[in-house]
Order: sequence, then C-alpha cells, then structure tokens
Amino acid sequence: MTTRPKLKLGSHLLPGLAAIGLFIVMTAAFLSASFPQPQGFPADANITASIGYAMFNLNLGDVAGESFLAAFIIIALTLDVALDGSIHLARREYSDSDTSVITDGGRKLKNHVFNEGDD
Amino acid sequence: MVGIFDLAPVIILLPFISFLTALAIGNRLPKGGALTGITATGGSLLIAIATAVAVSGGRVYTATIYTWASGLDVVNLTFGVLIDPLSAMMLVIVTLVSFLVHIFSLGYMNDEGEVGLPRYYAGLGLFSASMLGFVVADNLLMAFMFFELVGLCSYLLIGFWFREPGPPSAAKKAFLVTRFGDYFFLIGVVAVFATFGTAAFSGSGSFPALAEAALLGEAAESVRTFGFEPQLWFTIIGLLILGGVVGKSAQFPLHTWLPDAMEGPTPVSALIHAATMVAAGVYLVARMYGFYALSPTALAVIAFFGGFTALVAATMGVVKREIKQVLAYSTISQYGYIMLGLGGGGYVAATFHLMTHAFFKALLFLGAGSVIIAMHHTEDMWEMGGLKKKLPVTYYTFVTGSLALAGIIPFAGFWSKDEVLYETLLHGLDGNTILLAAYAMGLIAVFFTGFYTFRMVFLTFHGNPRSETAREPENVGMNIKIPLTILGILAATTGFLNMTPVAKLTGLHIEFLHKWLEHGFTGLTVEHYGELLHDVAGYGATGIELSPILPGAVSLGLALAGFLLAYQLYNVPEPVAHTDRLGSLKTMVYNNYYQDEYQVWIATGFTQPLARVASKLDQGVIDGVVNGVSGVSLFAGSRVRRIQTGIVSNYAALLTLGLTALLVGLGLMGGWFV
Amino acid sequence: MLTPQYYLVLSAAVFCTGLFGILTRRNALLFLMSVELMLNAANINLIAFSYLWGNITGQTFGLFVMALAAAEVAIGIGIILVLYRNFDNVDVTDATTMRW
Repeated sequence: MTTRPKLKLGSHLLPGLAAIGLFIVMTAAFLSASFPQPQGFPADANITASIGYAMFNLNLGDVAGESFLAAFIIIALTLDVALDGSIHLARREYSDSDTSVITDGGRKLKNHVFNEGDD
Repeated sequence: MVGIFDLAPVIILLPFISFLTALAIGNRLPKGGALTGITATGGSLLIAIATAVAVSGGRVYTATIYTWASGLDVVNLTFGVLIDPLSAMMLVIVTLVSFLVHIFSLGYMNDEGEVGLPRYYAGLGLFSASMLGFVVADNLLMAFMFFELVGLCSYLLIGFWFREPGPPSAAKKAFLVTRFGDYFFLIGVVAVFATFGTAAFSGSGSFPALAEAALLGEAAESVRTFGFEPQLWFTIIGLLILGGVVGKSAQFPLHTWLPDAMEGPTPVSALIHAATMVAAGVYLVARMYGFYALSPTALAVIAFFGGFTALVAATMGVVKREIKQVLAYSTISQYGYIMLGLGGGGYVAATFHLMTHAFFKALLFLGAGSVIIAMHHTEDMWEMGGLKKKLPVTYYTFVTGSLALAGIIPFAGFWSKDEVLYETLLHGLDGNTILLAAYAMGLIAVFFTGFYTFRMVFLTFHGNPRSETAREPENVGMNIKIPLTILGILAATTGFLNMTPVAKLTGLHIEFLHKWLEHGFTGLTVEHYGELLHDVAGYGATGIELSPILPGAVSLGLALAGFLLAYQLYNVPEPVAHTDRLGSLKTMVYNNYYQDEYQVWIATGFTQPLARVASKLDQGVIDGVVNGVSGVSLFAGSRVRRIQTGIVSNYAALLTLGLTALLVGLGLMGGWFV
Repeated sequence: MLTPQYYLVLSAAVFCTGLFGILTRRNALLFLMSVELMLNAANINLIAFSYLWGNITGQTFGLFVMALAAAEVAIGIGIILVLYRNFDNVDVTDATTMRW
C-alpha cells in the first residue's frame, strides 16, 4: 500500500519568503524601467550561421556581433577539465582492484554490492 | 690663563673615567682599579688647586656646557659649571679627601685581601665624579640630578659586602630615607621652575636675584607666586628644598640612615658619610643662601632643627659601644651645628665649620679604620684598650682630630664651632627667641661632644687591653699612616684660616675665609648675604655688639668640662660602663629614642595598608573597566559567531536577504521605483 | 514584438523559483537542479537583451553559459558523491561540520 505524494509544507519553507521578496523587488525595478524600441533582427537573417561565424572570428554573418574565438577555446578547455574533475571525484579506492576507470559495465561493482548484501 | 677654567669639566671627568675603567678592566688591573682612582683623583686635586689659585686672584667663571632641553618660551634645562670661591673651596676639599681615601683604601681593602675590589673603586670613582659635579652645578636641576647620583653611589658602597644580611638592608634604608627627603626637594625644584622660570644660581637672571626683586616689588611679571604672598611662597619653596637637605645631611628626623650606613667599609664612611656626601645638603643651602636669606621663617626652622639635631645626636653618641657608631652620631651632631650656623646668619662660620669638619671627621674615620684593621675588624670599644703604645701614629692623629672635634683651642674645631655659636647668639639677642633656643641647645651639645669624644679616645687607646686582639694588634702600613698624618696636620692648622675672635680683639685682618668669600658673582658674596640678612631677616638690625670672648670662653669651658668628666670616668686602667647608671634612660637613648621603630611603623603600619587599598582600587576598578571592555567584546563575538551554522541553505538565505536589501536601497537612492 | 519587460519578468520569476528551491530543498540533487534553473534564468535575460539591441553577442554568450552550466553540474555531482561518502546522506542540512 502506497500513499500518494503529498506536498510537504512546513516551517522549512520560511526562507523561501526571501526569494519571493527578491522577485517582488526585481519585478518592480523591471516594470518601472523604460527601454528603447527593440531593434530585433532582419527577417531573412541567418542567425545560427551568424553565431557560428562569431564563434570563429569570421565576420561573414548577417547579424553584427563580437568575436568569441578565445571564449570558444577556453570553454572547450573548461569542459574537458570538468569531465576529468568529475571522474577524479567519483573515483573510489577499491581495496581489491587497481584505481582505474570502471570499464566493465558495472559487473564488478554489482558483485561487490550484492555479494556483500548476500553474505 | 684661559685654560684653567675651561678644565673645570675635566675635574669631574677624571674620576668618571676611573669609574669606567674599574668597571671595564678592573679585574685585570693589579690593584683592582686603585691606581687609576688615585691618579684620577690626584689629577682632579691638582686642577682643583689651580682653579682655587685662579679664583683667589679674583676671577670667577660660569659656563653652560650642554643644553639638554630647550623650551620655546618656558624654561631651558642645561648643564653648566659655576666656579666661585665657595665651589672652588669645596672642590679642593672633596678632591683632597677623595684622594686620601683612595690611598687609604689600598691599606684597608687591598692589603686585607678583600674581593670585589673593581666594584669598590668603581663606586668610589663614580661617587667622586658625582659629588664634584654637584659642587660645580650652576642650576638647581643639575644639582638635584647629581644629588640623586651621590645617593645612588652611597647605596652601592654601603651595600658593598652584600652577601651578609646587614649591609644590603642598611643600603636600602639609606636610599629610602634620603629618597623620602628628595621627594620634597623635587617638588621644590619644580616649584622654582614654575615660579621663576629659571633655576640658575648666579647672574642677574638667577632665581635668588629674581626673588629679591620680587620682594622689593619689582619684577612682578616674571615671578609667579600662585596667589601667595611672595615671602610666604618663597618660604614654602625653601622648606620644600630643605626636605632634601635634611635627608641628605642626616638631620632630625631623617637621620636614622647614617648610623646604619656604618655597615659599609670605613674608607667609604670617611669619604661619603663624613666629609662629602652629607655635606651636599648643607652645601646646597650655602649655594642658595641668597634665596634662603629672604625668608626669616626658613632660617629660623633651619637653625632650630640644626640645634635640636646637634643636641639629640650628641646625647645618642654618649652611650654607643662601637667606635664607628659614635663617629656617626658625631657627624649628625656636627652637621646640626653647620645648619645652626646657616640659620643663625653666620654664613662664613657655617662654611668654615663645613671645611674643618670635613678634615677632622675624615681623619677620625680613617683613624677608626686603622684601629679596626689593627683589631682584626672588631669595632666594639669595650674590647679595645691600650692601643696607644702599639699604634702611635694613629693615636696622635686621632687625638688631634678629637681635640678638633671637641672644640679645644687652638685646634680647628674650636674656631669654627665657636664662631657658629657666636653668630647665632649675636643674632638671637636681637629678640629672636628661636635662635636663642637653638643656641642653648647647641651650647649644651658642646658638653656632650667633649664627653663622648674623649670617652671614645680613652676607651680605645688608654687603659689596659681588654681582649687578646688588643694585646697583639696588627700593624698598619704606610698607605694608612700617610693620609692620617696629612689630615692630622690639616685638622690642627685649618683653624688659623679664620680666627674671628683674635681678629676682633687685635684688629688684624686675618679672617682669610671671610675675605675669600667676599668676591665672586654679585649676589653670591658674603657682603650681599649680610645685606639681605640685615634688611629682610632683621639679623643685626638692632646693632647689638657682643665681644666674642665671653661666648668663646663659655663654649671652651663646656668642652673642657666634658673632657674632664670623660677623663675622670674612663681614663682608668679598667673602665666600667658608667652609662649603665642612667638605667632606662640609657635604654631609650641606646635605641635612638625609638626613631627607627617609629619610621618602620610609618612604612608598614601606615603606608603599606594605604598602598594595599590603592592596589585594590587599581586592580578592581581600573583593571575591571579594561577587562570589562574586552569581556563585552568577547561575549558579543561568542554570540555573533553562531550565524555560521554550517548549513548552506542558511547562507543562501542570508545572501538573498542581503541582495534584496541592497537592491531596495540602491533603487530608492537611484530612483528606480518611480 | 513584445517589449523586453515581459522577458525580464519571466527571467526574474524563473530565477526566484530556482532561489526558492535552493533555500528550501534538503536533497542535494534537487539543490543542483535549482541552481540549473537560476543559470537558465540568466540565459533568458541574455537572449532578451540580444533581441533588444539587435546584436548576436547575447545569444552567443548564452551558448557559452549553457556549456558552463553543464560543466558545473558535472563537478557538482562529483561533489555530491564525495558528500555522500562522508556523511552517508545527501541531506544538505546534515553536513554541518564547518561551523562555529
């Protein structure tokens, strides 16, 4: 027998009032601000091609913009680092195997966990 | 001849260099620094004699050596020298006695195999330098600083044998008692600066001259008397400075340190506690006499306390057992006479007695030192006896000194003490009852002086030997006998310097000391003092004439009476302690009228509880406030740090609240919401 | 087109929803999801202003923000793993050792 999921209400929701307060302040600021007319993009401009050209410092796009080659390379590096970092954090020191990436589809882990549970 | 006065600082520097040498390399020197001390004081003596010769030609000298604080519109604090007849005379006395004591120390300390000699000679050198600096000081603050320095050297030298219990305690007592007096002296110095803006002794801008002008009604702007009448205020300042004088010259009631100071080596007692350091106080009064002469009340106080001290100390000296103790009380008593002379208007008489006393008291102490060496460091007179034949040089010089002390004609003490008493009586007969009372006390003390002096001589040198050491005393060497002889000759002949009675009777101009003190800086001469005493204090105003014969005969008679009584009682083969017949009176006098116990009570029964209350106030209130402030800070911190709960969501909540508040604030200021 | 205010209010709403999640959720994974929401709210902002000024910079930058968000989540999940190892629990209110 299961119970249906219930929305958990309680005093732990009180800090959320700070978020609501922030929303009210931000909305008030935004609604009272005056903006110029949106310029928009030309109807037949190829926006994605422009983004691609901007990534590689090529000014061949229809829409003007800044060049992001340096940011592109840096983000590539960052993604690489993040991947390695997460692998490093996830590594567990097994006493019965060498410390390498688990590439057996999880068989060893499964045996380790369920055999211990069986014993 | 510009050279000799420029060498005045050298007089002070030579002993100071010997002090530094003894400290630095005294261990490696053959006699532990004695020879450098002898050379240094000998050199100072030669320069002092040359200075005195130059001064006798009528020249005086003052110079500012160093300005160590120059104020913008207020006082300047300087070091300088002042060479005039009084200071030149004192220079010769101090250097001569110091030189002889250094030679004597070769026999007393080196030959007896004492240890720690570099420290001893360093102390002697520093003391000589400080005392000489004090003598030539040209302003009151410099005098005060050297005053304190000589007190320090006294402390160091009394406590020379610090490994025994007696000397360090005596040194501490000496330092504390004199310091108590010096506290009032310091307040007096500050008062002088505040009142006159200067503390110089000589010149038209000196404080005695300014005070004189203020009394006459001139110079009103530069002299601030803080709402008092000028004469009353000057009396107050004079009495404050007198506090230091009373302490340093061991007058009643601050005399208790001097007998205990006999714990130090005998040459130290001869130099410091007989001839020079205790002279510092009375020398200061003589130096500032132009200021003291303006206040008859202060003069009366000085005279009365001087006479009282002379009498009380003489009675205490009658019952003592140890030879140095008798001499200590004798010193207190004789300085009472000098104070009596100064207060009674006899400036020349007091200076004369200062000079003769320095010589014969140093002689007596060195003689006592010779006896102590011979008796293997026993001081109790009841264990001596019959030393006359074994120590002839000591005996004859000691008797010369004793005759001088007792005031028997024609030795030095007679002329000087007699003149002191004569001047006091003369000015007292003008109707000044305090001076007459002081004269009476001084006169009675003459009898006691004669008695205790010759009791000492007879018990020590006459009669049969009363102990083994007295039968076979040790011989003393030439380095002991030579200083004794020189001082003996001086004690016998110095009296002829100023024989006032003979001068008055015969009309001869033989008052050499009076003439010596006549020239000098205006305001510091004997004539000027005489004028001030006549005009302001009224001494000699009624013009009474008194022949010096009768008072002289009376005092001589009393001295001889004391001598005869001692002769009767003690010049027998086996003397007994006749003073025991005084019974409980003797107990009281032997215990110094319980003055020591009284002063200890002031310290422990009165001052210490007061200090405890003040300490509680300091710890409780002041420290409590400071600790309370820090306590508040610590408490607040320990409560505020609980914001760091470690729960990330709480931090996020605080961030959000902060951001919201910041946005609201900036928006209201920047007009976002309108 | 619509004025930028609509987009800004939408962005504020999404941001504050994410913030609400951070302030009230106890599960660390849901905490991470809320952080993702906040990042994407910023993205909406960027796109809106790109349209306002007619400049492609905003959209390009938005792409980079997305890539960064991915990287950050990778690291975040690694940290949650370590957190679980040390405290046996992914409750953020349970890991309170760095406190007074």
